[in-house]
Amino acid sequence: MAMTGWVHSFESMAAVDGEGLRCAVFLAGCPLRCAYCHNPDTWYPRTGAETDAEQMVRKIARYKPYFGDLGGVTFSGGEPLLQAEWLREMVPLLEKEGIHYVVDTSGALPLTDTVKEVLSGAQSVLLDLKFWDGESYRQYTGQGIERPLETLRYLNDIEKKTRIRTVIVPGINDREELLEKYLSHLTGMACVERYELLGFHTMGFFKYEKLGISNSLAKTPALSEERRKELQKFVDERLSFTRI
Amino acid sequence: MNQWREFKEGNWTEEINVRDFVQRNYTPYGGDGSFLKGATKRTESVRKRVEELLIAENAKGGVLDIDTEHVSSLLTYRPGYINKDEDLIFGLQTDAPLKRAVNPFAGYRNAVQACEAYGYEIGESIKNEFRYRTTHNTGVFRVYTDTMKKARHAGVLTGLPDAYARGRIIGDYRRIALYGMDYLIQERKADKQRIGERDMNADTIQLLEDIARQLDFMGQLVTMAAEYGCDISRPAENAREAVQWLYFGYLGAVKEQNGAANSIGRISAFLDIYFERDLAEGTLDEQGAQELIDDLVLKMRLVRHLRTPEYNELFAGDPVWVTCSLAGVGEDGRPMVTKTCYRFLQTLYNLGPSAEPNLTVLWSEKLPRSFKEFCAKVSIDTDSIQYENDDVMRKDFGDDYSIACCVSAMKTGKQMQFFGARCNLAKVLLMALNGGKDELYGDQIAPEGKVFEEKPLVYEEVMEAFKTYAAWMAKLYVNTMNVIHYMHDRYAYERLMMSFHDVEPERLMAFGISGFSVLADSLSAIKYAKVTPVKDERGLIVDFVTEGEFPKYGNDDDRVDDIAKWITEYFYAELCKTKTYRGAKHTLSVLTITSNVVYGKKTGSTPDGRKKGEPFAPGANPMHGRDAEGALASLNSVAKVNYACCQDGISNTFSITPVALGCDEADRVEKLVAVLDGYFAQHAHHLNVNVLNRQKLIDAMNDPTLYPSLTIRVSGYAVNFNKLTKDKQLEVISRTFHEKM
Repeated sequence: MAMTGWVHSFESMAAVDGEGLRCAVFLAGCPLRCAYCHNPDTWYPRTGAETDAEQMVRKIARYKPYFGDLGGVTFSGGEPLLQAEWLREMVPLLEKEGIHYVVDTSGALPLTDTVKEVLSGAQSVLLDLKFWDGESYRQYTGQGIERPLETLRYLNDIEKKTRIRTVIVPGINDREELLEKYLSHLTGMACVERYELLGFHTMGFFKYEKLGISNSLAKTPALSEERRKELQKFVDERLSFTRI
Repeated sequence: MNQWREFKEGNWTEEINVRDFVQRNYTPYGGDGSFLKGATKRTESVRKRVEELLIAENAKGGVLDIDTEHVSSLLTYRPGYINKDEDLIFGLQTDAPLKRAVNPFAGYRNAVQACEAYGYEIGESIKNEFRYRTTHNTGVFRVYTDTMKKARHAGVLTGLPDAYARGRIIGDYRRIALYGMDYLIQERKADKQRIGERDMNADTIQLLEDIARQLDFMGQLVTMAAEYGCDISRPAENAREAVQWLYFGYLGAVKEQNGAANSIGRISAFLDIYFERDLAEGTLDEQGAQELIDDLVLKMRLVRHLRTPEYNELFAGDPVWVTCSLAGVGEDGRPMVTKTCYRFLQTLYNLGPSAEPNLTVLWSEKLPRSFKEFCAKVSIDTDSIQYENDDVMRKDFGDDYSIACCVSAMKTGKQMQFFGARCNLAKVLLMALNGGKDELYGDQIAPEGKVFEEKPLVYEEVMEAFKTYAAWMAKLYVNTMNVIHYMHDRYAYERLMMSFHDVEPERLMAFGISGFSVLADSLSAIKYAKVTPVKDERGLIVDFVTEGEFPKYGNDDDRVDDIAKWITEYFYAELCKTKTYRGAKHTLSVLTITSNVVYGKKTGSTPDGRKKGEPFAPGANPMHGRDAEGALASLNSVAKVNYACCQDGISNTFSITPVALGCDEADRVEKLVAVLDGYFAQHAHHLNVNVLNRQKLIDAMNDPTLYPSLTIRVSGYAVNFNKLTKDKQLEVISRTFHEKM
């Protein structure tokens, strides 16, 4: 019998800058508990719609007319690699349809053969690196930093186009000297084509209330777009030198 | 002929055949917009004058002035100018800009009320004239049956053109520039001679009288142009004359007729031929070419008709739909993108965004990439253009069709349309459940049938009742239209516009439906969830209890999208069963313009959960907030509606925030092109595009001075947001804006 996956939600038009028109599948379940998560409703495994691989690919294929050369599907979550077996089942089906996929992961899972297979088949990977020092990583996500770094090394080994993302939270990591430190981890990582900073926002707060989860950042303000742009510029100027 | 110097000859030199002229002579342009020029000082100065006039018009409650002494026609006013020394293209509807004309031919009472609403009284001479004259409106009401009146009163048949002119007719005004009026008059006289040989039955006699009326007005047009110092009896010599001759034709048409949506046609490739010749001869430069188009467009923006406030309420602001169709692809596969397509779009920068003319890009996968990107950029910057699928329409209409109004295609000069407003199908469902009674007033409108009980509705039973009542309604609808158009031909015939058609054009009778997505979702609710009617003390079903989930139109879900498709297919087939006046071909549209708000007001609660009085979604749009899977899923649902049974158009309005579309201008342009390509590749018909933030609209609603020229696409046309009623502003704000997650 075909495996089924658990899909939290589906978005037919998801913007990923510079990557064409894409749809996004949000898979249910995440091993991390990031303090600033704006989608806490995706934390729980085996929630949402139970879907088999063929059904899922059929649905994605409905959007082929929009994809062009760059577009395709993005598997996000939650943590999509929690359901790596299901994703692996979809890989040949997507290939048959000529649909590229992107994996949007925290890299916080063990690098099993299955995970490796899914990552290596991707058009590119969005790696969400929450923090760059073990202490903060554990403090704000509840997990160690070793696996994400291992995942990054693997992506670099297989020369997979990778985009790193970090959410910038006011009062926690919105400082240039911290970003400088973050960038030092990218030394020699030629796979990284971009380091993207996302601004912490408060639009997901209502979900905490709805789910009855305590929100430790309830009093933290959103990062202003001006400040985000400033920091992004800071990172962009340095990235091209460090990654080589 | 010197006027035809340098033109390649062909069939068009032997007969009236503008298409042949265009195809043999136009120059496709595959480059980008870098050649374009900005506004000249003269343009700036005229624009400034027009803006002052618009402010004054607004300050006076929407109508600047009315000439109450003359009946609108070609020769009843002295020549009018914005500024005689500065105007490049001459001609206004009356003797002064924005002064409105009284046109009572389609409905006298309507004209009187419109004057009164703005504090004017109709002059004695007009009163006397119309004391002895039958108008279209009088004719129609002489014949309307009680049932027709009831259906009209209940709002199940709405927006019928029975009190004002029918509109939606496009004369081929290019003929004036290419051939000159002498030749056109001579040809029409020959037609009369030829047709006069036939048996003199009612059809022949009617046609001969039509021709006589056309000839009368063709002569008057020559005189009208002469009053502006132009001799249109001969062909145009150069680009400026070509623009001017063509515009005179359009101007004469809107002096004679006050119908909505008498559009200007497909003129860009045609005019481009003249521009190219002048540029080659060195008598014109790019700045001069742009200035001519700018001035023509300014004139189009000043077209006005005198309406009652109720009309404005229905359509929002004061639209006239000077729809101007751009681009498309020829039957030989060459894109019909010319530099003049760019010049028309450029007017949105040179003159600022505007609702008129209704710039309509005929989209094809074969359009040059650079043009697609330019259009996307203009959409993102101005929210002022709409897109229609040329690859779909070309199959039925060839490569010389134009769009009238919002989405109505017709072969230019070869087809005309009997405009048919729309039937509220959501209301027909409620009528079917109530045994033929109106759900608001309880009047028996349709034949009495079974009233459904307060028990969960059974889909098959509801469908049977709906089919019966929809079939009954279709017949009544066709017959009502037959009455209207018989009378319009008799008492308010379009003498000038029809003279720029072939003598025996093909006729289309354009029916429409509203409440499309409400009906689809309602039937889906009955099929997939549990819907129980609730009755009031009169025994009328006035509400529903809907329990459980059901698939909703707008999520690319075939379970409900198939129902939506079926609605148009069934209703169209039923319409085709009743013969039309003058053998017109039945067509159907899913288009509500902004009247979706008014239709909603006149419709009780529906099984999909929409409450009594709440607005419908516009056109073929999914209901606001029900498209849960994002923008492309919503587009995919609409794309499934079959154009073959909706040849009068399927309107969809798409609003997205800039951030959801892309990270910067280049990214947004690329993505919008991908959206349009993907949507139209699935044979979808029409898309309005708005790229803006909801907050901007809220700010504009609270303080109109913030964005005085804020233009947005609503349903097949654009409006100035500040001219919408508060109700409509709120409705537009409540519509789905696809946002970044």
